[in-house]
Amino acid sequence: MKKSFRDFLNELEKAGELRRVKKAVDLRDVSALVAQSREAAFFETLAEYPGWRLAGGLVSTRKRLALAMGSSENEVAMRFEASLDRPIEPILVGNAPCQEVVLEGEDADLTAIPYPLMHVRDGGPYISATCVVSKDPEYGRNVGSYRLMYRTPTETGIDLVSPSDMRLYYQRQLDRGKPLEIAVAIGVHPFEMLAASYKAPIDMDEYWIAGGLHGAPLALVKCRSVDLEVPADAELVLEGELLPIGWSADEGPFGEFSHITGDVKWNPIFRVKCITHRYQPIFYFLQMPWENDWLSAPVTEAAGLRALRNASIKPVAIKAPVGSCGYWTLIASIRKRPGEGKNALLALLSVAEVKLAIVTDDDINIHDPDDLDWALTFRVQANRDVIIVEGARGKHVDPSVRAWELGKGGLPTTAKLGIDATIPEGIPKKFYRRLEYYGRDRVKLEDYL
Amino acid sequence: MSPLAETILRELHAEPRQFAELVDAHRDAKWRDFLRAWGEVRAADVLGRDEDGRYLIKSA
Repeated sequence: MKKSFRDFLNELEKAGELRRVKKAVDLRDVSALVAQSREAAFFETLAEYPGWRLAGGLVSTRKRLALAMGSSENEVAMRFEASLDRPIEPILVGNAPCQEVVLEGEDADLTAIPYPLMHVRDGGPYISATCVVSKDPEYGRNVGSYRLMYRTPTETGIDLVSPSDMRLYYQRQLDRGKPLEIAVAIGVHPFEMLAASYKAPIDMDEYWIAGGLHGAPLALVKCRSVDLEVPADAELVLEGELLPIGWSADEGPFGEFSHITGDVKWNPIFRVKCITHRYQPIFYFLQMPWENDWLSAPVTEAAGLRALRNASIKPVAIKAPVGSCGYWTLIASIRKRPGEGKNALLALLSVAEVKLAIVTDDDINIHDPDDLDWALTFRVQANRDVIIVEGARGKHVDPSVRAWELGKGGLPTTAKLGIDATIPEGIPKKFYRRLEYYGRDRVKLEDYL
Repeated sequence: MSPLAETILRELHAEPRQFAELVDAHRDAKWRDFLRAWGEVRAADVLGRDEDGRYLIKSA
């Protein structure tokens, strides 16, 4: 059965991973408060916003992500990847909780929703936990995740600088001098968020992927003012269009998922035409950077697994470390045949903007930093086992790509590094035999205590 | 334009400010009122940004 955002909140609470706050909270303070909570936070009363609740920091740890996924922490990527092989078509419903309240015309006012201020240098209040749906006449429906900076009661900035399907859809509409209709669903289950973050092939509908993760179809409802569909159980939906102005409006800075305060970017403007929400809605804000990083990790890992399998390589384990924001580094252990250490690197470096890939044999526990260091120390010769690829696709929020030197809407490039830490071809395995203690299986310390 | 929006404009005429500095200067205002006033300032189409992301009044 398909789970909702509220089902996930209940699961967190049952697991002792959700802290309820009853006292009325000011929206200027919620981000700092969530940052101090070891558990996910649920604010039952919002000053100035009667009837609204707010949740944040829901998947700020791998443990809570694994809880959402219904898997162990080390199996999250495998679980996500497996769902890609069994997408489930969504169904369309007539009535939806997300449309229990409909605000149109002058009532479609962004100040009517609890827009929080998150970081010291942000260019304004942000909505960070979004599933944004759009359509292209040729390529079909797309769902992605894009942040929205408050500008006016009817307009937000939207970060559309990085390459994405929706950026392409917008460019195609811009070339026709037309706006791009979008709808923004907020307060959806983490599966919808993960599917939206996955860089699926352009002809693949992310709603199907979310269905695969749930093992049940998503129920979608037609929007009220645009020709799009949103998850029926979303807490809040913003409908409207991206104005055909190109990358010309200031947006940011924002406390990025790279843990850095970003730069001012030049982006399009989203004009809101209609707001719908549930009764007693729960506003969800994604606490940067950790929540974004933990959501990125399984998406990057699943893409890495897929890339390895497409290259006929057998992966055993994979990890996108949170130190690389779950995005820029991939470490994989493989069951290697001759030459596949390098093939695996090429496959992993093809994933999105991954700029460091490390490949080990399957006797290395890549989740143990000491074991990984050992492999890097004794199985790598820098002149033979390191590859560098220059001029690959980069990402603006990485300061080392010098994105500020680009013009408005420009796309950065990056260099990529691969390290083959598998046992080199031609070195007999006996040279890597680990030491063993004499009598290990025969004597027990407790017998001497 | 609301009195709060006019005050924000005056502050930005005086010196560039981070958004959070403007928020700090008006903690006594209701958040929703502040957002409405900020919307008015935005709509006036007079804002620019400096290299640190501070808001400033564009020169005519």
